[in-house]
Amino acid sequence: MSIQYNAAVIDHFEHPRNAGQLLRGPETVEGVAGSIAQGVMFALTARIVAGRIEDVRYEVFGCPHCVAAGSWLTERLIGADRADLENWSWREVADVMAVPAEKRGRLLILEDAVRALASAWPNCT
Amino acid sequence: MNDRLPIYLDYAATTPLDPRVAEAMIACLQSDGPHGNPSSMSHEYGRRARACVEKARTQVASAIGAKPECIVWTSGATESDNLAVLGVARFHAAKGKHLVSARTEHKAVLDALKQAEREGFEVTYLKPGIDGIINAEQLAEALRPDTILVSLMHVNNEIGVIQDVAAFGGICRERNILFHVDAAQSVGKVPVDVEAMNIDLLSMTAHKAYGPKGIGALYVRRKPPVGLRPIIFGGGQEGGLRSGTLATHQIVGMGVAFEIANSEQEQDCSRIEPLRDRLWKGISGLGDVELNGHPHSRVTNLLNVSFNGIEGESLQFALRELAVSAGAACSSASDEASYVLRALGRSDALAQSSLRFSLGRFTTAEEIDVAIAALKREVSRLRSFAPRSA
Repeated sequence: MSIQYNAAVIDHFEHPRNAGQLLRGPETVEGVAGSIAQGVMFALTARIVAGRIEDVRYEVFGCPHCVAAGSWLTERLIGADRADLENWSWREVADVMAVPAEKRGRLLILEDAVRALASAWPNCT
Repeated sequence: MNDRLPIYLDYAATTPLDPRVAEAMIACLQSDGPHGNPSSMSHEYGRRARACVEKARTQVASAIGAKPECIVWTSGATESDNLAVLGVARFHAAKGKHLVSARTEHKAVLDALKQAEREGFEVTYLKPGIDGIINAEQLAEALRPDTILVSLMHVNNEIGVIQDVAAFGGICRERNILFHVDAAQSVGKVPVDVEAMNIDLLSMTAHKAYGPKGIGALYVRRKPPVGLRPIIFGGGQEGGLRSGTLATHQIVGMGVAFEIANSEQEQDCSRIEPLRDRLWKGISGLGDVELNGHPHSRVTNLLNVSFNGIEGESLQFALRELAVSAGAACSSASDEASYVLRALGRSDALAQSSLRFSLGRFTTAEEIDVAIAALKREVSRLRSFAPRSA
């Protein structure tokens, strides 16, 4: 394989954190972006308690960089509020994972999923 | 993961040297070996080398039911394909400018055809069925009064389907149209008989049959002569069809490899087929997988499988303990979905989630079991966190 992955990618790819989905309930919200046909898809589910993310899961269809980026992100989403999601940028994870330039567009789809999660944020919180 | 080399299941990309081939080649490379130029017939060194070359020519010819004088040494199947396609097109241009081939041919044929198109030839590309098979009626319908060449492969390198080249050959011979077959994947896996199959030109390579890389051959029918313009010019070796000093050790290697491939074909295939079936049983047990290509008209050593719901690059990386190919090795440098699988009607996503497993002479049952275990583990792991729908 010609593509090289750094240690962070390999770690998160082999041991993805918070993979899967949360059981739906009144406190859970969902943010989905991309599609399988497009080659990249992220689905985030989060439980919001007192205006902050208490728990989060992610599902992914994508390359190892995408699998790892989603995993890395979920670790940082615990405790985040809506404003954090609205301000989140793909750039940090791109640097941590050394995502090559030609693949960075895939992280924009992850960013779209984060924004979709922010849009689904319950109004009462 | 440990530091062991991955299990080699990429024999369709290339094969390791058979030790018997290596031994014959090494003997050629020793100081007391036949180091003369095979064209230097005025002295013993040259004559010794020439004898080795001619012995290998007979071995290669025998493997395909040809006469030795019909074998032209080349650097491999790519050069053979180029010589056949462009050599015939340029020689017969005054007679007609129409060529027929298929969308699922190897790039060596497709890119030679593109060059012919740039030179003013018109090419009809047949579309195979979803099973990868081209039927004889399709070919007959595509032929025109100005068709000068049909070029169709015997065994597809990506999906392993076997085309009925004997039927194609019959149609072409009936209409006096030259018939070229890319048989790079055939020798040692399926019988090849250029006479019975009415083949006029046949491309071969050593390295897919446990011979060395860098040597191949083109069968060129001599009676009546095919009419072929060379694409390499120089010292006029190989009857002027392929100039360049003959590489005795490479040629000897190909000769021995083809002799073994021919004599041990049945034995190899009957040992490999159950291993392939065992692998398929393991893979199909995962569910939601699709075998690409005709289920029965296929070589015994190859499986091309699409894994629904898993992204291709992740699948390959997860299975890095296996040396397998995503599409053809020649095209796997690119991110694009396999054009062969696309021609069969697979979506881009599914084509990208496909792997080619090709077994060979040295594959063991233990390796297949390790491969199945890795597939079970990684496919279910990747599916466990894949979104359900698009």
